[in-house]
Amino acid sequence: METFAQSLVSGVLTGALYAMIGIGLTVVFGVMRIINLAHGEMVMLGMFGAFWSQKLWKLDPFVSILVWAPLMFVAGMLLYRLLLRKIIPGGELNTLLYTAGLSLLIANLALFAWTGDYRTISLSYGITPFRPLGIAIAVPLAVAFVLAILITVTLWLFLSRTDLGRAIRATSQNPEASVLMGIDVERVAMVTFGLGTALAGAAGVLLAPSLYLYPTVGELLIVKCFVIVVLGGLGSVPGAIAGGILLGVVESLGAVYVSGTYKDGIGFVLFLAVLLYRPSGLFGAGR
Amino acid sequence: MTRRLLPALLGVAVLVAIPLSIRNSFFLHVCILILMWTVLGAAWNVLGGFAGQVSFGHAALFAVGAYTTIILYLKGGLAPWWGIPLGGLAAALVSVPIGLLCFRLRGPYFALATLAVAEIVKLVALNWESVTAGSVGYLITTLPPVRLFGLEVNWEGKPPFFAAAAVLAVVALLTTGWLRNSRLGAYLVAIRENEDAAEAVGIDTVRAKVVTLALSAFLAGMGGGFYAFYFRYVDPDAVAGIGLSMEMVFIAVVGGLGTVGGPLIGAVFLTAVAELVRDRFQMGHLIFYGLFMMLVIRFMPEGIWGRVRRLTPGARTGG
Repeated sequence: METFAQSLVSGVLTGALYAMIGIGLTVVFGVMRIINLAHGEMVMLGMFGAFWSQKLWKLDPFVSILVWAPLMFVAGMLLYRLLLRKIIPGGELNTLLYTAGLSLLIANLALFAWTGDYRTISLSYGITPFRPLGIAIAVPLAVAFVLAILITVTLWLFLSRTDLGRAIRATSQNPEASVLMGIDVERVAMVTFGLGTALAGAAGVLLAPSLYLYPTVGELLIVKCFVIVVLGGLGSVPGAIAGGILLGVVESLGAVYVSGTYKDGIGFVLFLAVLLYRPSGLFGAGR
Repeated sequence: MTRRLLPALLGVAVLVAIPLSIRNSFFLHVCILILMWTVLGAAWNVLGGFAGQVSFGHAALFAVGAYTTIILYLKGGLAPWWGIPLGGLAAALVSVPIGLLCFRLRGPYFALATLAVAEIVKLVALNWESVTAGSVGYLITTLPPVRLFGLEVNWEGKPPFFAAAAVLAVVALLTTGWLRNSRLGAYLVAIRENEDAAEAVGIDTVRAKVVTLALSAFLAGMGGGFYAFYFRYVDPDAVAGIGLSMEMVFIAVVGGLGTVGGPLIGAVFLTAVAELVRDRFQMGHLIFYGLFMMLVIRFMPEGIWGRVRRLTPGARTGG
């Protein structure tokens, strides 16, 4: 029972971070109908951002989010403006291949610059876990969880309460009608892409103390990310949250009760099953 | 007819002349790589270029071919010339259920599903140790003694492998050429351009796509079988990684989607980049693959071969 509670808790904690990565991808998909294959590399950049700001500037990784999230936001907007905007009219598959190329480029530039070594971030407060009700929780993971929830709630408020947020949701529901309502869809797309990139980068910063860092980690993350958004329905933010937590829990329980080696496989089988039988997601929210 | 025959004869003449005239084994090695990549690019192109079904999981089919061939050789003593086609056949068989499942999805969703399939295949290759030897992999130490036209075949030299790769590349290009002019090819183009319309005019789109995937898998599997014999080593990371899938995509996209000659051009390009860069830094070639893929999609989505064909008037039917 204790093992169950333990793996459930750590699954939920990791799942919240997965969810954040998923939200970034799903928001971009909702507005632009792009599946950004380079999304995992954005997370990787966030992770390395946290690593280097600790290494070089002695900055706490969780504080460095204040630097990296805005930076990634701007980078994402520029990326959309300068590169992606010209590709999107060429169709979904062109964009898919283009972002695949981008992902190769970023991952291997990082590999070239930082080598393939596995790195870790060690935190002074990360050594002893705290134990509420006898369940051990790693402090960095708990901090990341709280911050992830904070960011997600802020995002939710932004999307539901502000004009720009409403414009994003409107474009995601019906681009043609949004144009007719006087929404600058170009600008919405640019901001959305920046937002998606910033979320990925922020999630990377938060994940960095809990995972191994290496330049091709994006490969692993992007596949998880697809599982999440497909579980929740592509384009749906609540779906991505549920999908992320579900995947975190399934992986964590699977590792304990099924087998460590096939742990990642469970996610993929789940993914294929959902893709085939409920392509709009478990909750029917996506498109 | 002569227009099509001439380049084909020229190609065969070059293929025969290369091993006879060139003794430099590094150059032959590069030529062998080009031919192997041509087969793999053509395999991907059949599905991705003609039918417009982007797969990010072709390494899985390559891996099935490579494992089948190497296991048949090491455990059953089956010679390469039987093992390689059987590897292709095994990949084609495996591809049918994959196709029946994944082709229920369209466009980007299909691409995502193939990615998941490839990851599952890699996990199986890693963990099904009784068959695949897990992460240790298989190693071929000696190849069977063979006499051909009264001469002992020298497996340590490059020419026998060059001949094998050349045969496979010719098979791949002929298959693509046949496909382009066949009824199935026309179905595929219709599916690529508008799947609903294709269905509306009575094309059994799922069947056409599954048959094409099997064909593509057969070529990819033979490429895998050849890889196993040439490099003599097969393990999950080498033959089932996502990088390999991306290289196949790269060749087809850069060479020219939906063209016959494209994969050859793409393969030359890919091998040249890899060999030029490898001297300076390992893995660096992948940076350039990414960069070139972005540039090609941005500035000439029809690929190098597609652009060349468009620029030479009257050459549209030349392939």
